Amino acid sequence: MAVGLGVVVVRGRSMEPTLHTGDRMVVLRGAPPRMGRLAIVRLPPDESGMPRPLAIKRVTGRDPSDPRRYWVESDNQTVSGVADSWTHGIGSLAREQIRAVVLFRIPQRLRLPGGRRPLQ
Amino acid sequence: MLSRFFTPTEVSAHCDLPCGVYDPAQARIEAQSIKAIIAKVADNSDPDFRTRAVLIKEQRSELVKHHLWVLWTDYFKAPHFEKYPQLHTLFNEATKLAGASGTKGEFDAGKADELLAKIDEIDAIFKETKAA
Repeated sequence: MAVGLGVVVVRGRSMEPTLHTGDRMVVLRGAPPRMGRLAIVRLPPDESGMPRPLAIKRVTGRDPSDPRRYWVESDNQTVSGVADSWTHGIGSLAREQIRAVVLFRIPQRLRLPGGRRPLQ
Repeated sequence: MLSRFFTPTEVSAHCDLPCGVYDPAQARIEAQSIKAIIAKVADNSDPDFRTRAVLIKEQRSELVKHHLWVLWTDYFKAPHFEKYPQLHTLFNEATKLAGASGTKGEFDAGKADELLAKIDEIDAIFKETKAA
């Protein structure tokens, strides 16, 4: 996997209160996951075989039953339909499913040209 | 290279299941997750992982109740309750199974199975009403 910088924008509520819709972050593709930090992950397809979109999750640890795999969680566990390693059919992720690590959030005041602010 | 850097990739923090759509599948996937959590904890002794599992299991149980209540109060209408008089009891029993005396408070795979069976019964009625 090529290592490189990228920018991602968040959609949805599953990482509140840490992140909100419209937040932008600089990520490092191909970097090794770090415990407790945020990562861009590819979750397995859902039960009907439909691919899930790239998602942002927190890497909370190794899978206790397989230390080569990573446990990822949403920060907001109260939102309806939350999908993470605790969700039936997902479980822990293999190293190659962790696509990028989040380096930092771009402050709203430093938005890149053309960047839209979320509704307040 | 620069344009690639400045064009953000959208990453999902969305809910995974259809929102605003009535379907017992929403309650079922949370109940299946609860069952998986109980199994995961059974063969694990890591105290942090177990603590986390307790919290998540309570939250997912609350989500089961939420999804069932939405079906009970918003989807099903008076004619449904006339045609299926057992519906009220089914919802009452199912939400109890997701409560403190059920999956929310206990690590009992049997309770999770009972909860899934109740959700299946509700789902069967749901599908009949959809087909009607």
